[in-house]
Amino acid sequence: MGGVLAASPPAPPPGAGSSASLGLTVPPGFGTPSVSSVVPPTGETKETPRRQLEAETPLINPGAFDECHRKCKDVFPLQMDGVRVVVNKGLSNHFQVNHSLLLSTSGESSYRFGATFVGSKQTGPAEFFPVMVGDMDSSGSLNAQIIHQLTAGLRSKLAFQTQQHKFVNWQGDAEFRGKDFTATVTIGNPDVLAGSGIIVAHYLQSVTPAVALGAELVYHRRPGEEGAVTSLVGRYTGSNYVATLTVGSAGAHASYYHKASDQLQVGVELEASTRLQDTSVSFGYQLDVPKANLLFKGSVDSNWVVGATLEKKLLPLPLSLLLCSFLNHRKNKVQVGFGITVG
Amino acid sequence: MSGSNVKKGSSSRAMEWISSACRFAADKNDFRRNLLVNLGLFAAGVWVARNLSDFDLMSPQPVT
Repeated sequence: MGGVLAASPPAPPPGAGSSASLGLTVPPGFGTPSVSSVVPPTGETKETPRRQLEAETPLINPGAFDECHRKCKDVFPLQMDGVRVVVNKGLSNHFQVNHSLLLSTSGESSYRFGATFVGSKQTGPAEFFPVMVGDMDSSGSLNAQIIHQLTAGLRSKLAFQTQQHKFVNWQGDAEFRGKDFTATVTIGNPDVLAGSGIIVAHYLQSVTPAVALGAELVYHRRPGEEGAVTSLVGRYTGSNYVATLTVGSAGAHASYYHKASDQLQVGVELEASTRLQDTSVSFGYQLDVPKANLLFKGSVDSNWVVGATLEKKLLPLPLSLLLCSFLNHRKNKVQVGFGITVG
Repeated sequence: MSGSNVKKGSSSRAMEWISSACRFAADKNDFRRNLLVNLGLFAAGVWVARNLSDFDLMSPQPVT
């Protein structure tokens, strides 16, 4: 556990034969003798090679701003109610359709037909553009997204959502990925005639190979009212853990993700909202046993909600079984879900 | 007799203290107190996550 560069004595300089700390040149393979009678503090000798390695390692792109808390969020189980049947069918290498039937006890039952088109412009391993994803339910409500890589560093996305014939959400965004930073601008529901809309700007910068810092600015405007909200984010990535903190005027969000082993991953989240005057803590874990084709996720939070999902592939059939259960002890409520995915 | 009364008194005081501590921690009306309690729970969760030992679910069971 802990960083790759934790507690290890500094190795003698390999081949170059120079001592960075004393400025002496020694033959290769020989260490530099200590010339001071005072023994340096242990932390100093352990920190120096770590700082040198961090200084030599080039900074990499920190990824998308929205993905900062993603690793921790993916550990937690998703709540599902009722019965869900999903059938996926690939018609070609570029085109896939899916049918989703949801029978719900709490909400409305629905049927959705979805289609996914993937283009032939390859930008990386398993990355093809443009990507068009859409689905429509039986009442004509549409969700659609178009994602395209315009240049090597510039990616754009358009998203639409309708409720029957009326457009509810429409937004476009452009994401630029530099060598060690990512900048994104999103425009949501722009209405030139009414003078309303939302603009969101994100910036995330790699400061060191382990640390990334960023900021978010949300500006919203409608007739007679406008306002802006800012928040700052910091992320520290260790060898097997990621700690992220987002602080803003609306509240704070802290997450800690830890990979204990190949099978076990753990996540802890703290959310505090100054607007709702409420805080909550969640603890979640994920057990992945590929040999048994089993994925189990469990969570418990400070609102006395305990939940779990079990996903099992029923090989050799192209079937996946999903069982889900959430218990709210405070409100004495239980939600149970059952799902089957074909294809 | 007085010894058993003293013991009963101290155990009931301990139970009272525990129940008042639980009521204090679970009170949702005070945002700052709620935040402090949840910060402590978050720190405890991080400590548990960092100290989980590596285990293999598919390892053979020990022979008894």
